[in-house]
Amino acid sequence: MAHLNLSGLKKSYDGKQVVHGIDMEILEGEFIVIVGPSGCGKSTLLRMIAGLEDISGGELLIDGQCMNDVEPSQRGCAMVFQNYALYPHMTVRQNIGYPLKVARIPKADIQRRVEAVAATLALTDYLDRRPAQLSGGQRQRVAMGRAIVREPGVFLFDEPLSNLDAKLRVDMRIEIRRLHRRLKATSIFVTHDQVEAMTLADRLIVMNGGRIAQIGTPAEVYARPASTFVASFMGAPAMNLFEAATLNERCVKLKNCEDWVTEAGFRLPPAGHGVTVGIRPEDVAISLNGKGLAARIELIEELGGSRVAYCSRGALACAAMLPRDIDFSEDQTVFLNFPASAIHLFDQEGARFQEDKSNNDGNSAQADKSFYTGVKDALAVMTGTE
Amino acid sequence: MTTNIAMPMTRVAPVRSRPHPVLRAPFGHGVMIILSLICLLPVYWMIVSSLRPANALLDGAFWPSTITLENYSYALRAIPIGSMLVNTVIVSVAVTAFQLLTGLLAAYAFVRYRFAFDKLIYALMAVTWLTPLQVVMIPNYLLVARLGMLDSLTALILPHFASALAVMLFTQSMRTFPKEVLEAARMDGAGGWRILWEVIVPNLQGMIASLTILIFISTWNEYFWPLLLSRTPANSVIQIGIQMFMTAEGTEWGPLMAASTMASLPILIFYVLLQRQVVQSFMKSGIR
Repeated sequence: MAHLNLSGLKKSYDGKQVVHGIDMEILEGEFIVIVGPSGCGKSTLLRMIAGLEDISGGELLIDGQCMNDVEPSQRGCAMVFQNYALYPHMTVRQNIGYPLKVARIPKADIQRRVEAVAATLALTDYLDRRPAQLSGGQRQRVAMGRAIVREPGVFLFDEPLSNLDAKLRVDMRIEIRRLHRRLKATSIFVTHDQVEAMTLADRLIVMNGGRIAQIGTPAEVYARPASTFVASFMGAPAMNLFEAATLNERCVKLKNCEDWVTEAGFRLPPAGHGVTVGIRPEDVAISLNGKGLAARIELIEELGGSRVAYCSRGALACAAMLPRDIDFSEDQTVFLNFPASAIHLFDQEGARFQEDKSNNDGNSAQADKSFYTGVKDALAVMTGTE
Repeated sequence: MTTNIAMPMTRVAPVRSRPHPVLRAPFGHGVMIILSLICLLPVYWMIVSSLRPANALLDGAFWPSTITLENYSYALRAIPIGSMLVNTVIVSVAVTAFQLLTGLLAAYAFVRYRFAFDKLIYALMAVTWLTPLQVVMIPNYLLVARLGMLDSLTALILPHFASALAVMLFTQSMRTFPKEVLEAARMDGAGGWRILWEVIVPNLQGMIASLTILIFISTWNEYFWPLLLSRTPANSVIQIGIQMFMTAEGTEWGPLMAASTMASLPILIFYVLLQRQVVQSFMKSGIR
């Protein structure tokens, strides 16, 4: 198990900076997932930790030792690559044992350790096969075996599941989590798949444009996204984001929906400031009649376990999870209600507003009650004359 | 009364279809057989001529009326074919080994390391491949002469120590080698030397086999450079021995054909025995 400290880590290619000063601490035995869209610098950061990319600025400490100029093999890290990166001419046994052979470990020890790792990964029957004779999942397990056999301080995973089919990906995800629980090694896992990120991570690092957008547990990142980027990146379907403006320091109104306001429960700037209102599709209350924002269902997406309705009202589009007990159909008019407690508010730069705790703590019942309502109702809620 | 209605004749463009498979296979085989016969004819003619008696050499018959080994016995007496064949084997094996070794090392350097003027050096090296022997013949000859290596096997090997073709083909193969595998080897603790010999080379077997065949055969058949350097039969290769039957008095076709047959025999045996492997290695390496 190793402890990592990244301090102002930067990477430039030909003077163009792609990783902009990453600061973070990774604790011993922690499972960290770095998630972000393609080109956000997550793989580059992982490769900098591995030693496969030079560090242009900042410092990388592993167990307190600066590793900036240390050879990859001397950093105590083992890496699992996206394309498995197995040696095609070697058998599974030779592939797993190769790092030990290079380290000049006695043959008997190599054999013992390889067989132990193979047994752990259910590869015993395939030890004398070549990579070309294995399935994708088996190859990935061999790649993991090659990493495990070194007993490294840090495991680095570079999108290791992205070449597998959906079912195998789920199986391998569980396998990786089990392995981590057993080995308790510090692990850094890079992925662009948010389900992988949410299910595997002790802590998530969401990256965007070479910077950390948010660090937190999966639950924290999902429940309190730090920016519109994180809000829209984490979650499927993505969070609904609406342009809005502040009515006063506690109230906002949607841009394309003039007569609707909400009490936000956030510390807001004075009236007239542009903000972004966010709500997750599963938090949108949808009904066939009653109060709320009238909208038309344009499309219903069947996801098996759930259904998503894509609704529109003029220029405003909103996704909502449909309750199973009511029959909805496309082109139907529905009423959308947004519970105030589920609303996220972001400023014009996309950063999250701080919740007004005094307001929420004192008036939580009121806040939960204050669904998206008409101006009169909202004002009534705010003034306590309901 | 009947009315004849003139139906407009619509012309349907004929659909071009591929010949039926039953016809395609014999046609393809026919063409291949003809091409193979054209290739084999000179070899056949060489062998047949070497077996004809001296007075029947130019009778033009496709099959000799009399078969004799007299030309072989004369050729073996006239020139030291045995030692010449040994010399040819030494030169061919040495040149092949050196060109493969230097090609692998140079290609690895070009692919793995970035150094000053690397692209320029690569381009200059490629230019040497395009330079004909006649252009470098005199400078090379003078160099070898000044080094006192005329009439020696070393002089036959030294100018062919490295081959631009081998470097370029190995460079291309290594460039297409998966980068992640090399990175995995680095993570596993392998250094540059170990990565080359334990990871890259075993995966370039097809290319190495193809180049071995190409270099070996072209060195075996090399005539001009040995002709310039060789002075004594003891230090000559078989191609020079064959040339010795072409004298000012005329060409001794029978012994020449016998010597040529003996010179071709090792290559022919090599090819026949390893035919499948040779074809596979060329297919694997992408050289056609």
